[in-house]
Parts: sequence; C-alpha cells; structure tokens
Amino acid sequence: MDKNPKKDSIAVKPDKVYSDIQRDIQKYIDPGIFNCYQCGKCTAGCPLADIFEYKPNQIIMLVQNGRIEDIINSNSIFLCLTCEICSSRCPQDVHIARIMNYIRNEAWKMGKVKIPSIKRFYKLFLKEVSITGKVYEPGLIAGLNLINGRLFNDMDLALKILGKRKIKILPDFVKQRKGISKAVDKYLK
Amino acid sequence: MVENLNKDPLDKIAYYPGCSLDSTAVDFNVSLKKLLDVLDVEHVEIDDWNCCGTTPAQNVSSELVLILSARNLFLAKNMGFTDILAPCISCYNKLYKAAYYLNSSSRLKNKKEEETREAIIAGLKDMGFTAEEELGFKVYSVMEFLYLKKDKIREKYNEFKSGGSSPSAGRDLLNRIDPVCYYGCALLRPDSAMRFDDIENPTSMEEILEEVDVRCRDFQFKTECCGAILSLTHKDAVLRLSNIILEGAVESKANCLIVFCQLCQQNLDLRQEQINRSFNKKYRLPVIYITQILGIALGLSPESVMIDKLFVGTEFIKNN
Repeated sequence: MDKNPKKDSIAVKPDKVYSDIQRDIQKYIDPGIFNCYQCGKCTAGCPLADIFEYKPNQIIMLVQNGRIEDIINSNSIFLCLTCEICSSRCPQDVHIARIMNYIRNEAWKMGKVKIPSIKRFYKLFLKEVSITGKVYEPGLIAGLNLINGRLFNDMDLALKILGKRKIKILPDFVKQRKGISKAVDKYLK
Repeated sequence: MVENLNKDPLDKIAYYPGCSLDSTAVDFNVSLKKLLDVLDVEHVEIDDWNCCGTTPAQNVSSELVLILSARNLFLAKNMGFTDILAPCISCYNKLYKAAYYLNSSSRLKNKKEEETREAIIAGLKDMGFTAEEELGFKVYSVMEFLYLKKDKIREKYNEFKSGGSSPSAGRDLLNRIDPVCYYGCALLRPDSAMRFDDIENPTSMEEILEEVDVRCRDFQFKTECCGAILSLTHKDAVLRLSNIILEGAVESKANCLIVFCQLCQQNLDLRQEQINRSFNKKYRLPVIYITQILGIALGLSPESVMIDKLFVGTEFIKNN
C-alpha cells in the first residue's frame, strides 16, 4: 500500500509537463494546429531545415501526436531563426513559428536547451542586460569567445570594426535599472 | 488624441535607437537622423531607454521580452509620445508586440494572452510604471515610416533638384549604383509585425527609391533570411545563407544591395570577406542603408551619412 497517497497524487509526473504543453498549444497558441495537411511548404521555405533534426512540418505532426519531449530533445527549436517564413507561407494558417517559440520558452523553463553554445550565449546576453540594462556588443562577443574557448573567433571582424571605429569604447548603463534585473534574473537560474 | 488633432503626428516622433544602432550600426543611426531632419521630422530620443531583449529574451520567455520592450514604450509616454520609431527591425518587432498587449485588454484573444498582459503590467510596476486600461502606442518601422513620408521625399527631392545645385559626388554615386533591394525576413513577419507590404514580393523600398530616381533591379531573394543573430553561435550556417543572397544579387546583375536592417547589413557587408573565403567567391558588393541613399539623394554629402563606414566601400561600384 502506498503510505503517502496524497503526496503522490499531486506530484507532477514528467510526462504531464509535456501533455500540458500540448494542451496549451491546442487551446491557446494555435487552435488550428490540426488543420495541417502536411504539404511541407513550411519546410521548403525554412532556411535551416537541412540542419534541423526535425523539420517544421514534422514538428507540427509531433505536436499533434503529443510527442513534445522529442521536439525538446532535438536541435530544431533553438536553431530556429524566427524568420516566420513557415507561418507566412502556410496555406492552412498554422502558426508554426509561434508554436515553436512556445515550446522553446517551455524548454528553457525546464532547463532543457539542446544546444549548449546557444544556452551560454543567451545566458551571457541576459546577464549583460540584467547588469547594465543594455547590450554592449564588444563585451558580448568577447565574453562569448571566452566561454566557448575560441578566443580568436572572428578576430578578423574585430579588427575591421576597430578600423572603422564602429565601436563604443565603454558600455552604457541604464540609469533607472529598477525592475530590469528583477525581470531578467528570473530566467537566469 | 485630442491635442494632436490638427497636427500630423508623424512630424514629431519618439526615437528608440536600440543597442546596435548605438555602436556597430552607427552609420544607420546617423544617416536616419539626418534624413529625418531633412524631412522636417522632429525626433526625440527616448530618455534612458533599455535593451528590448531581442532574440535571446524572446526565445527564453515571451513575457520577459515584452516587459523589457514595454519599459521603453512607457518612457516615451512619460515624455508625451505615443508614436515611436524603432529603426532596428528586431527592436521594432518586440516593441510592436508589447504595444499589442498593452493598447487594449479587450482585443486580446484568450486567457493566455490576458496572462501575458498581466505579466507585462506586473513587470512595469516593478519598474515604477502604472498601465491604464487603454493605451494608444503606435510603433513604426523605418520602412513603414519612410513609406508614409513618400510624398514628402518626392517634394524635398524636387526642391533639391530645382535648387540648381551643381552635380555632386553624391549624385555621381547615385548614378553609378544599379541596386537590388533586400528586405530580409523580419519586416513582414505575420506574427510580430504589421504587414503593410506584400510578404513574398514587397515593393515599398523600390517605390520609395523611385521617388528619387533610383531604379532597382528585380531580385529573387528579397525576403530570404540572412541568418541574423545565429552568426554568433553558428557562423557557418549564416555564411551559407548570406552567400545565397549575395549570389542572387550577382545573378540579378546588381552592383550593390540596399537594406534597412543592420543585422542583414552586417552579415552581408562585414562578413563578405568570410563568405568569399568560405565559398571561393569574389564578391565586392557594397551593402548600403536606404537611409544613406535617400539622404544623398536629398542633398546630404556621402560623408555626412557615413558612407565611408561600409566595409565593402562604394569605390567597388563600377558602371555596368
């Protein structure tokens, strides 16, 4: 017999998270998701479909079948450029990009970011926004090279930018940063 | 707004430069501001603006990106503005979306959207702002704004031409260019932007440029994505996508590209040498901001619109 049935009954089973995501997509993000008839126009237009582990049309089919975990475990959602070509060309008005963004946000919440370099980049970016309120591009790129262990990546570009003086010497700070760090830090855990 | 009834609200606008226009896209920033001056548009930079959050914040949480963006809308409001010009297309998308959630709670579609609105309002409260039920923010992209100013551009152009100014270095450049217009992916996104032009074959840039006698060539890859911010983590993919665009421009027999997005501009201009190396190409295609071209057409000198900041310089433009 289960000694503590109450505790068990409120515990969220891992697959509940995924079925909730599917439910919310169908209910709020795009109620028309089942209108997809797999014509593949989204994938034909997607600039990065060839390096997506699941192509946009496959992602729609996976959502329809409740296989959200498979999507989160693939590289597709974090490679997506959000160019929204998929959504704009869909003959059935399925909002593929919006659906992918929702899954991406949920994946981040769960700490499941399939591509480590993207995770490091976003964290660094948000850290900078949290501290200064703005993004200081030179600092961001230098920091990125540092954490990725590729110190001289794009060094040719850095020299070019310096040569044209298209750079700020020091980062700017937002004066009234009240609330900015609070909003950002929630997502940095 | 009642007090604005007699005034064209577009003659005075809040200006949100965003982080890149403040550094690596300084040429876009300067040329746009000078163009606005020529067009008699008063532009006031939003005081103490912050980063909109752009792609990283959006991909992490759509609430976060909207909170960060909304702060800028409220700063503008405190300065007495509800019309905001956001030249960076990524900032524009984010600010536009924030305005959608804030402007009217009754227009929201479902519970999830209402929750998002609540989250934005809570975030704003932490920043010391209170949101009313109805707000009237209107966010403009640079293309939409220039398109609305088309008649003014024509008027100023005629004025300049009839002024009898001697042929300048600027006009000489405009005579030499044989451009294609590259819009990039972000202006006409169905989800996050106002669709004021055709999504597959937009023509607003060509139409505006025609007003100043610059004719553009047909181009197949007008709205193809350049790879955008992925350049920082997946450079090879970006070089490949940008190569397709430059190759298309060559196929169209253009000798330069005209753009309005600084991310596209960077990927195509700053990285052109990397693209040449990776794909064994010999591109020498300047990628010029539309604000620079228009500025020159309306009498500004090429130096004043910072044409010398291009990495692939205009000296590569030869007569075809």
